[in-house]
Amino acid sequence: MTCGLTRRQFAAGLSATAAATAAPPAFAQAAPRIVVVGGGFGGATAARFAKQLMPRADVTLVERSLPYMACPFSNLVIAGLRDIGAQAFRLERIQARGVRLVADTARDIDPARRTVSLAGGGELSYDRLILSPGIDLRWGALEGYEAGAETAMPHAWKAGEQTRRLRRQLEDMEDGGLVVMSAPAAPYRCPPGPYERASLIAHYLRTQKPRSKLILLDAKNEFSKMALFQAAWAEHYPDHLEWRAARDDGRVSRVDPGSMKLETDFESFSADVANIIPPQKAAAIAGRAGVADATGWCPVDATRFESTLQPNIHVIGDAAIAAPMPKSAFSANLQGKLCAMQVVRLLSGLEAEATALANTCYSYVTPQGAVSIADVYRNDGGTFESVEGAGGVSPVEAPGDVRRAEAREAEAWFAAITTEAFG
Amino acid sequence: MTLKGALAAMTGLALAACAGEAGKAREPATLAAGTGEAARLAAACSGCHAGPGAEIASLEGRSAGDIRAMLGAYKSERGGTTVMHRLSRGYTDTEIEAISTYLATQAEGG
Repeated sequence: MTCGLTRRQFAAGLSATAAATAAPPAFAQAAPRIVVVGGGFGGATAARFAKQLMPRADVTLVERSLPYMACPFSNLVIAGLRDIGAQAFRLERIQARGVRLVADTARDIDPARRTVSLAGGGELSYDRLILSPGIDLRWGALEGYEAGAETAMPHAWKAGEQTRRLRRQLEDMEDGGLVVMSAPAAPYRCPPGPYERASLIAHYLRTQKPRSKLILLDAKNEFSKMALFQAAWAEHYPDHLEWRAARDDGRVSRVDPGSMKLETDFESFSADVANIIPPQKAAAIAGRAGVADATGWCPVDATRFESTLQPNIHVIGDAAIAAPMPKSAFSANLQGKLCAMQVVRLLSGLEAEATALANTCYSYVTPQGAVSIADVYRNDGGTFESVEGAGGVSPVEAPGDVRRAEAREAEAWFAAITTEAFG
Repeated sequence: MTLKGALAAMTGLALAACAGEAGKAREPATLAAGTGEAARLAAACSGCHAGPGAEIASLEGRSAGDIRAMLGAYKSERGGTTVMHRLSRGYTDTEIEAISTYLATQAEGG
């Protein structure tokens, strides 16, 4: 084990700094106002760290959906290997650290007046706004997959009711049924997520409904950790999982939730359970703030995480264009910490400064086996760049104990990242 | 800002506090330390190492020398299978030094 310290140590170090920073009454400068929209892995982290780094700041976190339901590990819930309750996180501990929690929906943002209006009627003023709103689905981008289609054909790409629904449909399916998944073109939330999900559903079918099968239709020819997933599928699920690349007519062009049909250019599939992971974009509030571009995602200066379209608005997490950093919980959490640092620097008259960044992401290929991808990036010069010679995936040829070790690390990672984000 | 700079800034802060200077001068100094180069580099570590420390160990009580030695071993070992082998190769020796010292200092402070 290498670089690291516990959350308690890290927080203790920060609060030591915080105590020294407490301003005497003579210091009558108005408290800087930092508003964070979105209480997930990016926003909850950013709010907590901003308050710790700058205790005199007025930090407000807006989240509409409490408790927050975490997406990482939700594929285990779908496969019946984990309770959905383990995905729920409350934000009270962040509140206890002095962050004002507003359980409401950010309805609109006025960049000129620097205000966030709330669905509940209030309005928040900010000096710096951190947007970490996550994704919205592009309803209708896949023909037939309009709002409402997720009842018959769940996406389960936002954790919660949809996760439970897909799980229930798999449980209710007769042995011998056909499960069909549709994976989108990049970019989308959690690049290896569809393949981890396919692996775990295939495990469920093999062990519980062995006459059933999963077909994964893909709008891509290549995907994250591809060699690792394909090796695992050949070893564990040769009769239960078939992946079809875009070049092999894998791209779904139309779905019909009424008849449970998915169509590619040349073929039609009748599904007993259909999981559609549709094309995505930054959540709608980003568009209303004017920080999303024609792609639907949010361009940012990589050093400051500040929108290139609107000053004083920073965007982190899945909504931001941070490639080659993936849209992952680890990326969002690190961006939350670094963005908080840059925001308090800017509010204190200091320049934003570049750094090295990292990502780590584990995917289960079996209930006891996982694979990983890791990478290091630099954000000087306003863009994110991968560091040459660093990063990569787990070895493809590896004994089972390497996979088992990474599964245990994955579990420890989930405990760490959720502590780091939600206190 | 270098780690040395960050520590110097914190020392400066302590002196300023003793001298009873106005807080206005303090905040930039502590912020500079808390958001300095070493703090930024080390921010990635707690994304995995903030847990109780079983499968992914915590560094509680580790010295800067121990942390540096481990990171160096990960960086140089060929054929390693963990994420740390792949991550450590992305940092210069100077950065590893800064991260190690920062983490050890933070742990002491806790």
